[in-house]
Amino acid sequence: MKTLDIRARMFLAAMLPLALISTLLASWALFARYDDVQSAYEQRNRLVSRQIAMASEYGLFAGNRTQLQGLAASALHEADVRWVGIIDRQGLVLASAGNPLDAPALTASLLAAQGHMPRRRLDWVSQPVLASDIALDDLFDGAAEPTVRANRQLGQVVVAFSRQTVDDQKLNLALGGAVIGGLSLLFGMMLALVLSRGVLLPIARISSLVHQIGQADFQQVHAQRAQISPTDPLHDLQVSIHAMSDQIWATRDELQAQVALATQELRDKKEEAEKANLAKSRFLAAASHDLRQPTHALGLFVSRLAQLEHSAQTHALIGNVQASVQALQNLLDGLLDVSRLEAGAVQVNKRPFALAALFDQLAQDLSDAARDKGLALRIRPTGAWVLSDATLVYRILLNLVNNAIRYTEHGGVLVAVRQQRALGLLQIQVWDTGVGIAPEHLLVVFNEFFQVANAARDRTKGLGLGLSIVRRTADLLGHPVTLTSRLGAGTRVSLTLPVIDQPSASEVVFGGEENTLADLQGVRALVVEDDALALAALQSVLQGWGMQVVGVNGTLAALQQVAQGVRPDVIVSDYRLPGDANGIDTIRQLRSALNADVPACLMSGDTDTTLIGQAQAAKLSLLHKPVRPAKLRSLLRRLLVE
Amino acid sequence: MRRLLRHLILCCLLGMALAASAQPLSAQVVLVSSESAPAYAETTRSLLDALQRSGLSAGAVDVLSPDELTRRADAGRLGPARIFVGLGVRATQSLLAVDVNAPVLSTLIPRRSFEQLLRASGRKASDQLSAIYLDQSLRRQIALVRLALPQAQQIGVLLGPDSVAKLPELRTQAQGAALLVRPAEVVSDQALFPALREVLDGSDVFLALADPVVFNSTSIQNILLSSFRARVPMMAFSTAYVRAGASLALYSSPTQVGKQAGLVVMAALRSGHLPEQPIEPDDFLVDVNPNVTRALGLTLDGVELRQALRRLERLP
Repeated sequence: MKTLDIRARMFLAAMLPLALISTLLASWALFARYDDVQSAYEQRNRLVSRQIAMASEYGLFAGNRTQLQGLAASALHEADVRWVGIIDRQGLVLASAGNPLDAPALTASLLAAQGHMPRRRLDWVSQPVLASDIALDDLFDGAAEPTVRANRQLGQVVVAFSRQTVDDQKLNLALGGAVIGGLSLLFGMMLALVLSRGVLLPIARISSLVHQIGQADFQQVHAQRAQISPTDPLHDLQVSIHAMSDQIWATRDELQAQVALATQELRDKKEEAEKANLAKSRFLAAASHDLRQPTHALGLFVSRLAQLEHSAQTHALIGNVQASVQALQNLLDGLLDVSRLEAGAVQVNKRPFALAALFDQLAQDLSDAARDKGLALRIRPTGAWVLSDATLVYRILLNLVNNAIRYTEHGGVLVAVRQQRALGLLQIQVWDTGVGIAPEHLLVVFNEFFQVANAARDRTKGLGLGLSIVRRTADLLGHPVTLTSRLGAGTRVSLTLPVIDQPSASEVVFGGEENTLADLQGVRALVVEDDALALAALQSVLQGWGMQVVGVNGTLAALQQVAQGVRPDVIVSDYRLPGDANGIDTIRQLRSALNADVPACLMSGDTDTTLIGQAQAAKLSLLHKPVRPAKLRSLLRRLLVE
Repeated sequence: MRRLLRHLILCCLLGMALAASAQPLSAQVVLVSSESAPAYAETTRSLLDALQRSGLSAGAVDVLSPDELTRRADAGRLGPARIFVGLGVRATQSLLAVDVNAPVLSTLIPRRSFEQLLRASGRKASDQLSAIYLDQSLRRQIALVRLALPQAQQIGVLLGPDSVAKLPELRTQAQGAALLVRPAEVVSDQALFPALREVLDGSDVFLALADPVVFNSTSIQNILLSSFRARVPMMAFSTAYVRAGASLALYSSPTQVGKQAGLVVMAALRSGHLPEQPIEPDDFLVDVNPNVTRALGLTLDGVELRQALRRLERLP
């Protein structure tokens, strides 16, 4: 059922009793009037017929038809009289007047009778005509009286009356009643409307008031306070609602002030923390940059030193120095990776690639390290293709296998693939037979700087950044990493990636270049480096690879060399150069001066993320200092082939 | 006022009678009245007056109702009354039903009713059982017609079962007065109007003779109307008819009847017997309806007519 709104309810509540009473009153009055009209009509009918009966007494006694006919005819002049019949006591109609069709069926009767002819809308009244009874108070006939009584009836008068007039009167009454009833209802409706408005308007005001409170429009609510009329039927309620509204307003303002205060404090603390973090980052960046230059040079020098002829003892010493430099460079790389990941500077570039190439690279990079520890590094070949960022996946695997080698003393390390075709996934699993991880450490090994069984923080064991980098990188790629381990029995780390079918040859990205590496012998290189020590080290390493090197300390010098006719096959430039110059601009100027798209690469000690973006935009390979000679060499080879 | 007084007196009388009835009946005269209607009370009073005036003490008369009479007779307490007087039909009837062992005089009774009662009881009128009739003699009535309407030639009468027997005497009396009788017999009330028209057609006067089939409270109105319309004056036998519209009436008043009865009772007390044959009233009144007579173009005076009639009958 449709719910009546308050207006309709109010209207009904006011209207219904009124309508009921007015209808009842009108009906009562109407019926009373009907009765009056009807009884007056019947009374008049009886009166008329009685009068005719009285007048026809002597005519009936004398059997005077002429007189009776005259009587009947004159009776017809009475209003509503349609037929008059005067009947003697034998039932013979002595006189009649009017339409014979209106004559009722007659029965001689001593009693007055009346009836109705609905079809002709007539009422008839039968009135016996009795001889007038005169009390004689006579001593003569006292005894004989009862025998005579029965024969008092002389005849009967029957009169038919039309109901037309009375029906018309009733109709008029009904119409009048209906009009009066309708008018009173109309009046009642207006009254009900006025009355219900009197209640509804305050309710509507309160409703809008509450709505405004609901909308927290306290200003508006407060403005209406002055408008409350003391004569308003809901005055007290409105006053209370206003009081409530003010209370809520005050409380809200107070709360808002408190929240604002708390927010401000939080914001301050956040800014403080951000400042501290920025300071830390700056410190790390600066420190790592400053550390890189000498480490870079040191690496290159040691590399160059190792190329020379030495005694076995010296060679062993150089090997130790090289290992130490390697460790130092690894530490710096780890720090660099973490800072880059943390800065969100690593761009994910997902493309299909074959795991086989990645595994070959892994074997090439880490076989020596494993062999050095006396471990068997087995990488199970696979033909699977995955959709991911090859560089980042490689970095994950490099860290995982490095870790495995680091924490394994006996046995070996296994890298294998387990396919989950049904799920469209593939797991790269790295097994080791190392020290394992205690269950209580399983949750924290992915944290930065956490190292199992390295409470003394032996830095030859790394900084403890490997798993942290793995986790961050995997999160970035959206590849789950799971770790299962038993203390003393070994560890298995699984990386899950989406597997795909082998695409067409054109999409192949990674791998295979080892076969097409160019020979560096006799290649002309132009090296731009402002740090004299680093320049000397780099020059000596490149020359050790059989390259012809021209080293300059800035852009101008490099351009002068070009102007003097130097035509390099490859350009290697430091990013940060004296003055406002940088490696990217220098390379661009040199290329334009040379009028050729000479292969070039950048080197930098900065971990600044914008630099990586700029290098990518300029399509230049960026090497972070300290640059490993092997890496530089493979890059140069690749650049020269391209 | 007068009426009230009459009632008061009647109540006193009844009270006395009741007081007396408590004792064994020792009165000389026992009066049995049919009812307490004014006519009977008036007759009773008149009778008692007459008795007292004749020297009979009030204690010598007992007034009873018919029922009381029957009760006392059943109880054997009727006592040594010397004469019983019955007023009206009922009283006479109850007296006839009781063995009173004394003369019984019936009064205030129409001839017809007395004769019927005699027939019913199997008795005959004698000096122990007599009556004073209410009916006026036909001779007196014809004489009055002659006096009142000297020009009348034909006299119309409606005869019912009771009155038809009077026709021969009526003819005789009328003949003596040089009047022709136009009679018509009414067998039932349905034939009333044709008979009436026959009678009135050509009559100079319409003489009403008591007969309940013809003249009763229901028919009288139309009879009077018919006679009035026919412009035939009607002479009736009771003052009630005059009130209802008859031109004149010849009748005896209750006072007159009571007075006459008192004289008869005194005579009986003295002689020990009653007149052997029932007697007719010796005094009478003539009532005239002045409106009707005036409308009919007549000038009549009741008092004068009574006196003239009395003179004619050589009465004082």
